[in-house]
Amino acid sequence: MNFRHAATAFLTISLSLMACTRDVPRGASTTVRVDDFGDTIPATLRAQRIVSLSPVTTELLFALGAGARVVGRTHWDSYPAEARAVPDVGNGMQPNIEAVLGARPDVVVLYASASNRAAARRLRQAGITTISLHQDRTEDFRRAAMFLGLAIGDSARGAVLGDRVLGEIRAVRTSSTSPNGGAGKRPTIFWHVWDAPVFTIGKASYLDELVVAAGADNIFGDRPESAPQVSLEEIVKRDPDYVLSGPTSAPKLLVNPAWRAVRAVREGRVLVVDTALVGRPGIRMGEAARRIRALLDSAAAASPRTTNAVKR
Amino acid sequence: MICFEGVTLRYPGQRTPAIRSLSLTAEAGAVTAIVGPNGSGKSTLVRALLGRVTPEQGTVVIDGASLAELSRRDVARRMAVVTQREEPVFPMLVRDFIALGRFAHGSLWAGPTAGDVAVAESSAARAGVTPFMDRRTDTLSGGEWQRVRIARALAQQGKALVLDEPTTFLDIAHEMSVFELLDELAHDGIAVLLVSHQLNLVARFADRIALLHAGGAVAIGSPSDVMRGDVLERVYEWPLVVSRDPAVGAPMLVPLRRRSPR
Amino acid sequence: MRARAWLLLFAALVVAALAAIAFGSVSLSLAAVVDALMGRGAPDAEMIVRVLRLPRVALGIAVGAGLGMSGAALQANLRNALAEPYLLGVSGGAAVGAVLATSLSVTGPGLVPLAAFAGAVVAVMAVLAVAQAARGPGDARVLVMAGVVVGAFANAAIMIVMSNVPDQTVRSALWWMMGSLGDASWAGVRWTAGYVALGGTLLMVYGREIEILALGDEPALALGVDTVSATRRIFLISSLLAAVTVAAAGLVGFVGLVVPAIARSLGARTVRGTILASAITGATLVVAADLAARVARAPAELPLGAVTALVGVPFFLLRLRRMS
Repeated sequence: MNFRHAATAFLTISLSLMACTRDVPRGASTTVRVDDFGDTIPATLRAQRIVSLSPVTTELLFALGAGARVVGRTHWDSYPAEARAVPDVGNGMQPNIEAVLGARPDVVVLYASASNRAAARRLRQAGITTISLHQDRTEDFRRAAMFLGLAIGDSARGAVLGDRVLGEIRAVRTSSTSPNGGAGKRPTIFWHVWDAPVFTIGKASYLDELVVAAGADNIFGDRPESAPQVSLEEIVKRDPDYVLSGPTSAPKLLVNPAWRAVRAVREGRVLVVDTALVGRPGIRMGEAARRIRALLDSAAAASPRTTNAVKR
Repeated sequence: MICFEGVTLRYPGQRTPAIRSLSLTAEAGAVTAIVGPNGSGKSTLVRALLGRVTPEQGTVVIDGASLAELSRRDVARRMAVVTQREEPVFPMLVRDFIALGRFAHGSLWAGPTAGDVAVAESSAARAGVTPFMDRRTDTLSGGEWQRVRIARALAQQGKALVLDEPTTFLDIAHEMSVFELLDELAHDGIAVLLVSHQLNLVARFADRIALLHAGGAVAIGSPSDVMRGDVLERVYEWPLVVSRDPAVGAPMLVPLRRRSPR
Repeated sequence: MRARAWLLLFAALVVAALAAIAFGSVSLSLAAVVDALMGRGAPDAEMIVRVLRLPRVALGIAVGAGLGMSGAALQANLRNALAEPYLLGVSGGAAVGAVLATSLSVTGPGLVPLAAFAGAVVAVMAVLAVAQAARGPGDARVLVMAGVVVGAFANAAIMIVMSNVPDQTVRSALWWMMGSLGDASWAGVRWTAGYVALGGTLLMVYGREIEILALGDEPALALGVDTVSATRRIFLISSLLAAVTVAAAGLVGFVGLVVPAIARSLGARTVRGTILASAITGATLVVAADLAARVARAPAELPLGAVTALVGVPFFLLRLRRMS
């Protein structure tokens, strides 16, 4: 080999390397191409037919401009409106493999829960690239945005989208005083997820992050799980200032005699959150954080909070 | 006391009736025995008295009243029935067990009265079971169990007593004491109606015998009338001989062998 | 039953009830509990003790007593030491009612219990109808078989409904089916206790009849009991008594099965004595099981039916050993 060939080779290699590094998102390691099940995603992937098996990834794909490439969604994906035109392939958890294969995808995006491992394996055996992603914390959203950007061949757009949403959440957090009209003390909330048995959100949930961003504290923010089971006694003991609940569960709380033991319920401080908006760690998380913040602000303005020491 | 008047009894779904047009009376103060081969309908008569089978034709009359018009409580006050077998699932004390015989006389919710207790105790004495009043029913031997059941039946203080094969699992002593008791009860004026396989004992103790065969009465009369070799051989389809036993002079049935000895 | 055994039973109930008031997923000092009971405690302690724990204990007593009495009466009536109220269609019917009500997700707090009770009543009537069609409405064995048939049918219905509703409804329905005193309210306690007292009184009134039914069909007829109408009556009262407890607390299994056996092993011989002893024993068992359910994995709550089943299993092994 002579010098000219070596120079060409060197240039080609270094240029390719530079191209590669531009593909690798800033701040992430080279493990970005290994998904949350440990499966590798080829860097050369240019997905044309994608089945998205979770609402978060479906709305992400539409937001990334790849809506036309989505050929299958779960039964529960309804955002954005255009997503409803995409064929419904059933459940996202333990999906119907036949229905998924029937959409003839080259990529299937799954929620990385233990119950989906078997489905991911079956799809890989059928020759389909699977991308399995956690969806518990806000950081997972950014990672998902980057993966999907990579999958459609536009990783830059994925990074921008991920950063934008997280930035919106950060903006809510840093915006001015706490919602209590500047009294200094952050209000405490109990997030009512489920009734029988009582489930709430813990430190591992994105909702905890949104609540903190909105200027309040989750009374069970010390629990490491994302959805811990708690007892009514514990809620009474921790005495939250507000209870946040969904539109169908909130009325039930107010008429349930046992829940009257919780001071916030007795005093009517049950705030109704739009579960469609806050229900998933997706592209509308910034809006969700703002909405929670607004709820807390208007509740504080309507009835100034009294502390436990004063009330007797 | 207990009259079957032209009674036909048929089990649901059966083509042939179990009892055809039977007329039989068990008089007060007498021991009436019903005998016959297996399947001749003896137990069906007892079931009719219990109200389990309703007569297709004819009536059953107890102490002058038609069975169909009496409630079970009314029947239980006039007539006591000791069924072939009884196996309680939960054990109880013998004294409580005998006291249950007073149910038909008392009110629904009250427990046993002092009068009830007295009757129970005298019935126990009559049946000879006073020594085991405080034992549990699941600790009794076969003979003791049978006598306890008879004591309970006596506690009902009915004018009639019906027993379905009362001595099946009893040894000679217990068997004889039961028959002697029945004899005494008849002597006291009770109508005793007895279903039994023990032809020889029946011949000694019964005042009247009804011999059943395939749902009908082949012979009804005194032991000497009914205990005849030719009739019995035909009914039981087995070679036998009827003679008189030398000890007490009652008719005695001896079945013969069909096959020659080894 | 000897006086000493009765005293023991009562004492056990009192101890269990006091423990259930004093302990829970939040630990309060004994002084705090006493203060709260007297009405001069800290507000959160008062809420925990008087609004959360006291109604649960009261409901537990009513539910346990109801199930115990129902089981005692049925075991005597059906002459079967393995009979229990859930065997005869009550649990299946109630579950169908509750699952249907849950899937409609209507708000009213009394809807699911009402639907559960209605479902139980329908199932009990169905059992009687099936037994009647089989020409054995007063025959214990026919009733048991009819109960198994109706129960199997109800299970199939539940499975069909659950496969066609969203996951949330399935989870709600499953939690209800595992039994819980968590919905205890004073109003609910009053209703439940009232019906349990009524049903229990009726069973005690008919106690001698049940005693005689326990001897067998023919002996009972001989002693003057109309077995067909009596069996139907006792079956109805016992099943509706159990249905009331299911409406209040979901499916709390094993209590109706195990409690009468405990009462008998303590010396209860007559049916009336067994029914009364079963009421007290059942109340103790449910209150103690609820305490364990609240405390074992605090602050999470175990399903009550799971705890009572765990108690039932070793008990059964003991009985098997003694039987063989």
